[in-house]
Amino acid sequence: MVVAQRRLVVLSLGGGAAVLALLAVLVGPGSEQTSFGRDLPAPPDQALDVGRPKPLSGEAHVSLWTTVRRPVTARSAPTRAASAVANLDRSTPEGTANTLLVLGRREDAGGDVWVRVRLAVLPNGSTGWVPRDAVAGYRSVRTRLVVDLGRLDVTLFRNGRRVLQARIGVGLPQWPTPRGRFYVRNKLERYRSDFYGPLAFGTSARSAVLTDWPDGGFVGIHGTNRPELIPGRVSHGCIRMRNPDIVRLGRLMPVGTPITIS
Amino acid sequence: MADFSLERLDVDGALAEAVDGVGGLSRAGFMAAGLGGSLALLGVAAGEARAQGPGPGDLAILNYALTLEYLQASFYTEAERLRALKGRTERAAEVVGSVERAHVRAFRELLGSKAVKRPAFDFQGVTENPRAFLKTAVAFEDLAVAAYKGQAPRLESSSVLAAALSIHSVEARHAAWMRYLFGANPAQAAFDQPSSKREVLRIVRSTNFVTGSPSTERNRAPRYTG
Repeated sequence: MVVAQRRLVVLSLGGGAAVLALLAVLVGPGSEQTSFGRDLPAPPDQALDVGRPKPLSGEAHVSLWTTVRRPVTARSAPTRAASAVANLDRSTPEGTANTLLVLGRREDAGGDVWVRVRLAVLPNGSTGWVPRDAVAGYRSVRTRLVVDLGRLDVTLFRNGRRVLQARIGVGLPQWPTPRGRFYVRNKLERYRSDFYGPLAFGTSARSAVLTDWPDGGFVGIHGTNRPELIPGRVSHGCIRMRNPDIVRLGRLMPVGTPITIS
Repeated sequence: MADFSLERLDVDGALAEAVDGVGGLSRAGFMAAGLGGSLALLGVAAGEARAQGPGPGDLAILNYALTLEYLQASFYTEAERLRALKGRTERAAEVVGSVERAHVRAFRELLGSKAVKRPAFDFQGVTENPRAFLKTAVAFEDLAVAAYKGQAPRLESSSVLAAALSIHSVEARHAAWMRYLFGANPAQAAFDQPSSKREVLRIVRSTNFVTGSPSTERNRAPRYTG
């Protein structure tokens, strides 16, 4: 037993000495001569600085929208058996992609995903469910437009901050601008029309009175050739802005922006 | 052995579509005919960068990498926004997404005005199904690792190479994480193989995840109520 302990001590001392010898070789003046080779230069500086990863922020201000990929029936519930709310085409009367504001999603019992969308149909404020495969990819915006029919102005927010405010003309009492929640459906420009000014946004809002208006009586946000009437109740339901204001709005407000009219 | 190549993913049949033969045209012919919309953006990236100097320089490689980072960042961000994932997968998507967005920011900062624009994506529901999400995530991460590995030796600047390597190893960690969550071996091979740009872009195109921006603007007179 004593012999075994002595051997262990000797082995331990021997092992320790070997480690010390190795360290001495590595850090000593002759280290470049070891099997680790010559000392090497420091790593080069990196061309880019990948900053600290950040979680998604400001998501409360993000809205999603999509477009109709194939003609589809929007239904009152996320099931094929639910009643039809509206038939949706791929394009709008203006020839643009048919945009839909995304409000939510749900999986049905079979595992199929349905998307709840705001619809550009009467009655205003209609929503419906469409199968996920009937719509295209999701797009996002961080803007929202608030139209105040009492104060006769619009305010555009981006990430919750006000970025534009302007006076407007709205519908006459017999052709009221509809109240509710809507979205920007498309954008038209480079046309010849003094009446509509240099630029026009189409919205999902529709006149509940002028139902026989060409293309369905959609409410637009556009310029004007009568700026002296703004602010006022002067239109057939559309929201009119002075031309410099609609041009500014055109630079700041993307398609898909939610609109609240109150 | 599980196959995580993007071509083997089955997303509404879109990924099962072979690269060859789209309405009688090969995929290459389809693209050449201009019917691929902004899918061509991926190829344009290199063309634009080449215009800045001779040969496939670092700029082209950086824009190529940025395009792949756009793809990944958009994928994870959409998954996080839709909140269809749960538990460890949800957490992984949040963490990896934040890193991919950091990569995008870094590349855009470095490239400045020469950075390619973000393409439009349509992930066709894979961000909304946990199993499809994980399978696609594995494929994306494996693809990114192979893409970086394929281009790193061609970088001329050692500082760009250092940056690429620092991202490459992070992408490999992501790949291992997603493989683990999927239930696959995180480190199966002793040696990983690089992928050429041509091969990477062919695979990405075959997914149909890269789409044209929807046509929401037109030059025509309105007929709104006025």
